[in-house]
Parts: sequence; C-alpha cells; structure tokens
Amino acid sequence: MRFLDHPPRFLFFTGKGGVGKTSLACASAVTLAEAGRRVLLVSTDPASNVGQVFGLAIGNRITAIPAVPNLSALEIDPQDAARAYRDRLVGPVRGVLPDAVVKGIEEQLSGACTTEIAAFDEFTALLTDAGLTAGFEHIVFDTAPTGHTIRLLQLPGAWSGFLETGKGDASCLGPLAGLEKQRSQYQAAVAALADPQRTRLVLVARAQRAALREVARTHEELAAIGLSRQSLVINGILPSGAAQGDALAAAIVRREAEALAGLPVALQALPVDKVALKPFNLVGLDALRRLLADDETDATDDDGAEACAFDAPALSSLVDAIAADGHGLVMLMGKGGVGKTTLAAAIALALALARRGLPVHLTTSDPAAHLAKTLDGAVDTLTVSRIDPREETERYRRQVLASKGAGLDAEGRALLEEDLRSPCTEEIAVFQAFSRIIREAGRKFVVMDTAPTGHTLLLLDATGAYHREVSRQMGGKGLHFSTPMMQLQDPEQTKTLIVTLAETTPVLEAARLQEDLRRAGIEPWAWVVNNSVAASRPRAPLLRRRAANELAEIDAVATRHARRYAVVPLLDEEPVGVARLLQLSAPAGTGV
Amino acid sequence: MRTIQIFDPALCCSTGVCGVDVDQALVDFAADVDWARQNGARVERFNLAQQPLAFAENPTVKGFLERSGHEGLPLVLVDGDVAMAGRYPSRKELARWAGIVTIGVAPAQSACCSDSGCC
Repeated sequence: MRFLDHPPRFLFFTGKGGVGKTSLACASAVTLAEAGRRVLLVSTDPASNVGQVFGLAIGNRITAIPAVPNLSALEIDPQDAARAYRDRLVGPVRGVLPDAVVKGIEEQLSGACTTEIAAFDEFTALLTDAGLTAGFEHIVFDTAPTGHTIRLLQLPGAWSGFLETGKGDASCLGPLAGLEKQRSQYQAAVAALADPQRTRLVLVARAQRAALREVARTHEELAAIGLSRQSLVINGILPSGAAQGDALAAAIVRREAEALAGLPVALQALPVDKVALKPFNLVGLDALRRLLADDETDATDDDGAEACAFDAPALSSLVDAIAADGHGLVMLMGKGGVGKTTLAAAIALALALARRGLPVHLTTSDPAAHLAKTLDGAVDTLTVSRIDPREETERYRRQVLASKGAGLDAEGRALLEEDLRSPCTEEIAVFQAFSRIIREAGRKFVVMDTAPTGHTLLLLDATGAYHREVSRQMGGKGLHFSTPMMQLQDPEQTKTLIVTLAETTPVLEAARLQEDLRRAGIEPWAWVVNNSVAASRPRAPLLRRRAANELAEIDAVATRHARRYAVVPLLDEEPVGVARLLQLSAPAGTGV
Repeated sequence: MRTIQIFDPALCCSTGVCGVDVDQALVDFAADVDWARQNGARVERFNLAQQPLAFAENPTVKGFLERSGHEGLPLVLVDGDVAMAGRYPSRKELARWAGIVTIGVAPAQSACCSDSGCC
C-alpha cells in the first residue's frame, strides 16, 4: 500500500461517513505495529467500533491493545467533547440565569462547527505535547479536521475581538469562545498538520463519480493550507470476478471502472491505492490484516451467505400517503451523497403522475443540473426549478460582506469571510432561496431535495430572521399560518424525509439529524434507505453478503429510528430520466 | 467619566444566521461605540452567548433577564443603573451619558434610510 510507504509521524484519514476510514486506520495501525513500530491509534469517529474491532473497551484514555504488541488506542467522542465544551461555557450560569436564556446559549453552541472545534481541541495535545506521545513513533487518526476549522484557527482575528478587547462589533467569535488552550498551542497544532515531514493525509473514497469529485475538492482545499502530502485510497471496489452473470454486480463493476477511468485531474498526481470489497466483516485482527493484503479476493467464495429474505416497504407506500394530502411541502434531508436529489425527483414525478391535475414543483440544488434538464417538461403538471448552491452562497456572502463587513477592520473582515465559508452558510443561503418557493405549498406539492438542520432552524427562529424572510417572500398574501416555524413543525403541511444508506455510519448520522430536527420541534415523517443492495435481491455472493450486512441496519431504521420507512433498491442503471425514476417508486415486486 | 455597559443578546455567529437584513442597527451602533470611545467614553459590551457569566454576576442584569427574558435585550447600564432597554442607544444618547460635547454630531454613518426619511 503506497499510503503506508515511509509513513511520517502523523497519519490522518479523511472522507465521508461510511467510506471505511476507521477500518483503514485500524488496519494501518496494525500493519505498522506488526512491522515493529510503536503506534497510537486515535479514533474520533462518533460510531467508533475500534474497541469492538480489537475486542476490548478503550474510551477516552490511551489503552494498550494486548493482542497487538506496540499498539495502543484512544477514542475521542466528538459529541462528548462538544458537551464538555458547552458545559465549560454554560455550566457556571446554569440555574443562575433563566432556563430559556441558558437554552438559547446552548443552542448556539450545538452546531456542527462547535462539535468539530471541540474534537480538535481534544486532540491538539496529541500533535503538540511531545511528552504525552513520547512513546509512539506513529499516531494514526481516523478523521481529520476540515479546512474551515484549520483556517479559522490560523486567523489572528479569531483570537482578538470580543473576548480580549470587548470590541463587540457585528461579528462575533462563535464556537472559538470556549477554547481552553492557548492560542500558541493551536498554532503549533496547525503547524504540525501543515508540515509534510510530519503529516500525511489519506483521502478515502468509494469508486463513484460524485464521491471522487468531492474528494478532489477536499484535496485542493487542504493542500491550499499546507497539507500537501496526500495519498488517495479507493475503498470497497467490487472485484470484476464478482459479476458472474449477476446484472447488478456487472453494472457496479462497470460504473466503478468508469469512475476510476475518469479520475478528476486534481487527484491524478496523488499516489493511489485500491482496496477491494472484502467478503468478510472487518471485525477482529485477522480481518484487519487481510483488508490491506494484495491477494485477489475470491469473489466466488460462497460460504453460505443466504439469499436473504427481504421484505420492506417500497417508496410507493410513502408516495401514496403523501399524495393523499393533495398538497404540501416535502423536504428530503440527509448527508451529501445519499441520493436526496434522485429521490426528490422520483417522489415529485410519482406525485405528478399519481394525482393528475395536481401541480408539483420540484426544486433541487443538484449541482450537475442534468436531472432538472431530463425532467423539465416531461410531465405537464411537473415544474422543475434549480437553485445553484454555489451561486446562492456567493450572492449571500457578498450581501453579508457588504452589509456587515462594511464597518470592520481588516482582521474582522478576514474572520467574517472565513465564517462565511462554514457549512452553515451554504445551508442558510440555499434555504433562503428555497423559502421563496415554500409559499406555493399551500396549493400544490413542493418537493425540495434539501432542508436546513434543526440547529439552523432554531437559530433562525430565535432571531426572528426566518419569520421575517418568509413574511417578506409572502408579501402579506398566501398561506395562513401562525409562524413559518409552525408550518415546518406541522406534519399536515410539511413532511420531512430522512434519507440514508444501509450502513452503520450513515444510519448513525441520520439518527443525529433526526435528534437535531426534534430539538426544533420537527418530527421527521419517514426515513428512506436508499441504494439498498438487499432490496435489489442480488445473486452474486459478494453482493449477497453486503445485502446480509444491510439487514441489521434496515432493521435498526425500522424498529428504532423511523415512524415509517421505505427501502429503495440499488438499480443496474443510474436513475436518470422519467422511466428509470419511476422504477424507484414502483410498487414492490412490479418494477425491479 | 461614567461607564456605559451594553448587554447584548446572544449575537449569533457572523455567518449571518441572523439574516442579512437585520444587522444595520448593530453595524451603526458599533460605529457609534467606536466614535464614543475615540471621544474618551468608557463603553463595555457583553455578549450573552459568550460571556454569560457577566450577565449572571450583575444583579441588575440578572434581575432584568428574569423579568423580561433575553427578548428584552439589549440592556444599557450607565454607572450600574438601567438607562435603556430593548434597543440600542443613538450616538446622541451615548454622548449625553458620557458627557461628550455634541455640537454638530453627525448621525451614525450610513444612516438607516437616507432616502426613505424614516429617521
């Protein structure tokens, strides 16, 4: 494996949830330790199963792994870190200030950015305190901070301002306010990250076009701030031998080959490793050793993965229930890459056809725009509009800089500009654009392929900004409701669908989204498990095993997380165009 | 010289979740505070989200929050006494409290509505 050649002191794995960062980090740590190096493995994965992988409890202290000499591990739960961080700020006033006030402050510190900064705060010492890590030659992290966090910590403006000078202009520190350590320590940590002699960043992705495009962006963003020593691992490739007359497997093999052939230019110069999909679960030492082994996986090895009995509601059941209302807002929500745009299109199309005469407005932020093109005009009751997230975000940034940035000095302005690069900014900008369309939901169906998180809604609601925004858009006419927040909270008017994949981390991430929405008083109406191999009822042994693994996740969705749910099969062909989109919402047993 | 203390509501992060259209008053006020400081006034600001202890430790502010909630902010104290609540003071008011001679004081830069005349 090229990413383990001459490894520097720090190895960071980065990539979307579910691509296998933790497994690769574990396997790398084992490989290095068995080569005689002293290794510390650090997991900040909220779904960390490092303990399970090695068969012992680890937790938030450095723990030696008895089964692997030279290897120790440490688990940092970013949610716990964020909670501790909030407690530091809010704890002293809890019970002193009114509860509503305390709750408001806590919400401000409950966003994704706070969680990330808090996790970074926790492992800063591992990068800077030589005494703490003196016994280790390599420290392997299964996550990496985002470019946004690193840049924020580099800005001098982030450290002056409110707290030090009490200047209190229109800008503010946000989540940095609760940081415990000295600025010099963060600077040292960032310097360690940006030093190619000390740090290698391993990008992890699946062999999918959209995923590789996203990884290319991460690569460029992190390279621009100095993390220039990077490597790419493409994980979970279906071996060509696995196809064997199974149409779905053959289609996956072909699609993955196409994605690899079209590797984005930005990634072509990187050392690339390809790791095949394994016919076993990555638990236990033996499995980890075999993950990085070069031997061709025996794809035909059929050690009894049964053709699993699969019985779950299809998307059509949800579409029927939505159609019965005659109008309303349907919002799809989930992490990037789970297929929200495709499902939004499938639902909108099915609604337009199910209820002839009832207009449907599909509005999407699909960056590729090909979806809008293939659908627009295909069905006469279906309108398609597209919001370009980049354009909207750029417009929003300019607006904020012009209004709020005007009175700021150079440092304050740099900080504001960085704040405007946070993930929240795009979410707000896109939602602002969408909110122009929401008002139509009183008389037709409006299907949106994105939604703001509960955290954002709560903040928007607390400041009244959302109310103002929607009232402005409505211009005094249109829907009758008490507040726009109530429209989103009312299941008769708004249905929120959480989209996920049948894998551990994506389901966990979706559950977190749901908690966040519930905090805002929004109960997700249904969950959709997308791209399910189990629902495709595959024949190829490797896919059958994947299908069997999915069942536990689908069961968790059905019994623990969702009030109602549907499972959408992975299709042979990419679901583009009317006919294939309709396949997604076809009643079970008739389409696929 | 009197001390003017402003207790701000939990100003959200500058990413603008407050919306883009709401902060002109804040921007103007920040400019007024700068102006007052340059003229020798002692002005302190506290943000509820970041310095909650400053709110909790001041009995006047704590009492105000208990009665009026955070919706009642901002709260302005002059030498510890409530001088204003619910809105930001104008440059004129700041000047009066701080004892700055205000002959020919210009309105805050970018007056809120140069063409609609609402000021």
